[in-house]
Amino acid sequence: MPSMDAVSRGLMLESLRNYARRRLPYDFLREKDRNNEFPAEVLAEMYDFSTLGVHLLLIPKEYGGIGAGTYDIYRVCEELARMDLGIATSVFATFLGTDPLKVGGTEEQKAKWMSKIAREKLLVAYAATEPDAGSDLVNLKTRAEHVVKNGEIDGYRITGNKQWISNGGVADLYAVLALAPGGPSWFLVEKGMKGFSANKHEDKHGIRLSNTAGLSLDNVFVPKENLIGMEEGNGLTEAQAVFGYTRLMVAAFGLGAGWSALETAVKYSQQRIQASSPLSEKQGYTHKLIVPNAVNLEASRAYIEEIAERLDAGERGLQTEGAIAKYSATEAGNKAAEDSIQALGGYGYTRDFPVEKIKRDVKITCIYEGTNEIMEMTIYRGRWQEHLKTRGEYYILKASEMEALHGENPDVGARASALALRTLAAVMEECRLNKLTRHQYITFKLGNFISMAETSAVFAKRASAAYSESVKFDTETWQAMSRIYARASALKIAVEGVSLVLGAAAESSLPSKINLAEIQSVQSGIMKDMDTVARKLKEVFKAR
Amino acid sequence: MHIVVCVKQVPDSTEIKINPETGTLVRTGVPSIMNPYDHFALETALNLKKEHDARVTVVSMGPPQAKSVVQLGLALGADEGVLLSDKAFAGSDTWATSYALSLAINKLGKFSLVLCGMQAIDGDTAQVGPGVAQQLSIPQVTFCEEVKVNGKKAWVRKATDYGYAIAEVDMPVLLTMMMHKDFEARYPSFLDIFNSDQKPYHVWTAEDIGAKKEYLGLKGSPTQVDRIYPPEKGCETQMLTGAPGEIAQKIVDILKKENCLR
Repeated sequence: MPSMDAVSRGLMLESLRNYARRRLPYDFLREKDRNNEFPAEVLAEMYDFSTLGVHLLLIPKEYGGIGAGTYDIYRVCEELARMDLGIATSVFATFLGTDPLKVGGTEEQKAKWMSKIAREKLLVAYAATEPDAGSDLVNLKTRAEHVVKNGEIDGYRITGNKQWISNGGVADLYAVLALAPGGPSWFLVEKGMKGFSANKHEDKHGIRLSNTAGLSLDNVFVPKENLIGMEEGNGLTEAQAVFGYTRLMVAAFGLGAGWSALETAVKYSQQRIQASSPLSEKQGYTHKLIVPNAVNLEASRAYIEEIAERLDAGERGLQTEGAIAKYSATEAGNKAAEDSIQALGGYGYTRDFPVEKIKRDVKITCIYEGTNEIMEMTIYRGRWQEHLKTRGEYYILKASEMEALHGENPDVGARASALALRTLAAVMEECRLNKLTRHQYITFKLGNFISMAETSAVFAKRASAAYSESVKFDTETWQAMSRIYARASALKIAVEGVSLVLGAAAESSLPSKINLAEIQSVQSGIMKDMDTVARKLKEVFKAR
Repeated sequence: MHIVVCVKQVPDSTEIKINPETGTLVRTGVPSIMNPYDHFALETALNLKKEHDARVTVVSMGPPQAKSVVQLGLALGADEGVLLSDKAFAGSDTWATSYALSLAINKLGKFSLVLCGMQAIDGDTAQVGPGVAQQLSIPQVTFCEEVKVNGKKAWVRKATDYGYAIAEVDMPVLLTMMMHKDFEARYPSFLDIFNSDQKPYHVWTAEDIGAKKEYLGLKGSPTQVDRIYPPEKGCETQMLTGAPGEIAQKIVDILKKENCLR
């Protein structure tokens, strides 16, 4: 579904920001966080048509919703995460809970349930995870057995347990994955159905405003009309089909939460005088704690936007890309929040400042919707196939594209990105020749390298084009950020790639296949670029 | 009843930055908002719409991105939106802006009320509203806080230097609105924003409103801006609080301390 125009999107974001300013001051959030309390009244207001109606974004127009595109959703998710990641998660759970219906539901089911979710402002939960089945959903133990009446299937009796379910204790409607006789299938279970109950609200490290609970299903009868798609066995395919898209939302959460923390740190650094000058003037502070995080966050923004635009243009799947977006943005967000605590010193370690809460909150983005280790594996698997299919040409071609871009625009780090991609191709080929992918650790590290190399290429490309509405920095700064990111990618892949291969292979000529001298030479200018970014951050996020 | 509301897109004053070298306003990266006084004027019009089954049209003049304030007006409940956008308008002062807005309002047809904010928070001139009234040859009441409509007359409560004045005026009339101190801008819901895209919205050029080019833009503007600069901080201000007698005593003490009184 294409996204809306920038003006409408801007107005929606402004309405959301205004709501947060009025209703969600930090003291309110801190109190709820301390009490581990789900703010039901906030969610009710956010779903109210006359206040915001945020749940309508995911409901297609024909069912009474707005039918927003992926780019719109990414922007709203980033803003939600800036407000509070627990509240954002609760909204996200509704988005996620409607996905099986959107992907696999019959027209009749969509018309009935989507309209009901829109009209009655239902909170929805997505119940796939079990105590022994997370990303390995094939281990599903929840069973759905046929209930036969007059020789025909009349419905199902579902029995089993679900775990870590967002909105678990507060939802009105649940999309539940269960093993039917024909295979894993999604069922719609309504609150209050006999035999269906939620366990206690979990006492979590972060996102404490989000209700998380286990579910218990004891012979719960659901009518056959509640089998999504009216056909058994499509559950896992339907779960997989939306990962490209849902992981992009979690990526936006990492981005929003990370920037929220880092902005606090940038503003603080201008006010805190240390040895007669502000911290923001000290390279030892900015170049360690601030600049690298701003660069990583903006690199992941560039990647998220690229994938959002591709999804809006009609591309489907993009599971590997969704995993890269989620991996790079949530790692960046988590690190930015961690460093923001350090940047605020003792204040950062107290609950008087929001960074401590953001750090606890943002950690979940590295865990839910597939842990970041699952992301490394997914990224590796997706691109390893491409490497084999193209006989090692996959990243060579991408490197050539970057070299061509460098010819057109030498200021965006495309040359360093090309080096990162070529080095990656060499490392992967060496892994193939030496059968090193038998080491799981190496495959996961490859996932990490792939993510960095591809993100650097997308960042260079987007830093060279017209900027989207979300970029707060001028050309000089965004290009400096792109150069910093590309240089770091090339260097990391070269150094760590060689180290991995030499560490695992009996013998290897990899060092001779990597142009380390050139990778070192493109590091030239990094100090000037970091100075530029540090200076511009102060201008964009000026302390009052 | 047809109510026309003039709105302006302005930089959010809470985010104002001045370029220290040029002394000009930095607009890049500064979020834009609907001028708060105009926002209040719009809400006044929308309340009248509810009571009198009126039709509300929002008019703005600005670059293409000023569509945002017109669409905000539509999302909040206005029925029709017009943006005057043309390079010919660029650099217009308050006189030229009033001229262009009045032509647009005339093009919209019959109206009973024109509501404007009392001033914009960027220029603070408070001249455009009165200028539009003059160009339209209709009466005006400035600094209004409250408006009621009764038949063909408007009842207004306006602020004066000493308190309030009540006025009853024949319509059509132009009113400039100042906010109640407790006014809080309302923001539209997602659905209202989504639906606002379907409402009538027009972009009019100078030619569309039949404007004479020599009365527009920098060349058509009698005002010449010499320079803009942030005021230099000359002296410290000390705020005195307490009962009037206490404050008077504190002033006397200060004057004595400064050797101004013996």
